[in-house]
Amino acid sequence: MSKKPVKGEYIETDTGNKVSRRSQIIGTTNIILGGKTVIQAEVIIRGDLLRTYTSSNPGEKQGNPVAVAIGRYCFFSRGCELRPPGKLYKGQFSHYPLKIADHVFIGPGSIIEAALIGSHVNIGANCVVGKFAIIKDYVRILDGTVVPPNMVIPSFSIVAGRPGRVVGEIAEGEVDGMDLREVYREVRN
Amino acid sequence: MSNKRQSMMPPAPKPPTSLSSSIVIAEHASLTGTKLIMIGSNTVIHPRAKLNSAYAPITIGSTCIISERSQIGILKEPEDEEEAEPVVIENGVVVEVGAIVEARRVGEGSVIEVNARIGKGAVLGKHCKIGPLCEVAEGEVLPDFTVIFGNGMRRIDNSGVEDLKMKMVARQVEVLRKLIPSNIAKFQ
Repeated sequence: MSKKPVKGEYIETDTGNKVSRRSQIIGTTNIILGGKTVIQAEVIIRGDLLRTYTSSNPGEKQGNPVAVAIGRYCFFSRGCELRPPGKLYKGQFSHYPLKIADHVFIGPGSIIEAALIGSHVNIGANCVVGKFAIIKDYVRILDGTVVPPNMVIPSFSIVAGRPGRVVGEIAEGEVDGMDLREVYREVRN
Repeated sequence: MSNKRQSMMPPAPKPPTSLSSSIVIAEHASLTGTKLIMIGSNTVIHPRAKLNSAYAPITIGSTCIISERSQIGILKEPEDEEEAEPVVIENGVVVEVGAIVEARRVGEGSVIEVNARIGKGAVLGKHCKIGPLCEVAEGEVLPDFTVIFGNGMRRIDNSGVEDLKMKMVARQVEVLRKLIPSNIAKFQ
């Protein structure tokens, strides 16, 4: 028997992020985690796919490059993937940052190439969110949905199908259940 | 990552490879198997992509993009005595995240999107597009410009923009070359 203390599944950062040791995070310097975010095993985050298009405006500040920005209390289930989308713009190919707000849940095996995901969004298992999709606040995407590229999903929608369509609305009373603070607290080593 | 425990098993033997010197292959890509893997010039292999030549050789053309978690090559042992047919991917093909390709031939400029699955022995014509989560059955033959989308619906794309798409793939490869550190030496 090894005398080493058994290492837990998660590494907890100063800001309270719980990151699985078995996650596959590439380009960590280009990823911002807002805090209290859970990243489970086998999640891939492609922080290396940086923006390469430089705007011709010299006045623009050149700060730290960001490929993936994630807010607070997000939950990334086992085997999902976050990948900044890429497109051809003015004859140059470039990736663009993937921004995720707070309380976003992403189900197991889903692949996300959106441009923007608002707060309190719940994405089910095995979904595919196409390139440059924009998902506003309080949206639920059911299991196995394929959100087509460039789709804009309005707030309080329920989306399902292949290709994804808005199939319903979230009633005001249902909004309370989309807070992820409790889910975060339940994740322990 | 250096203090990671080492596996007690000896590392799997490397497959014989013929890699062009201009390819970009990430260190965490995996090439396994026993038969020849050939990769043409300017092709990009993302990290965590799996190429398995255990049952049949794999040939990938030039200016292709093979994304993470995709699996190229025959996955299961062939049932009859015959040897499984080699997997050939022609030039300018994009294989996106999590796709499984066991096809006999994937035509030039085809796009295989997220989590799509191409069965054993299937033949895709040129400039085909297989949408996310769509499947092509074993041994199926698709004509050029076929698009599979939604729940397996099909149409023929006659928009005639295939040259532009090929150029876009080439541009994308140029960008990925800057972003993905390549480690060919590990696989040779």
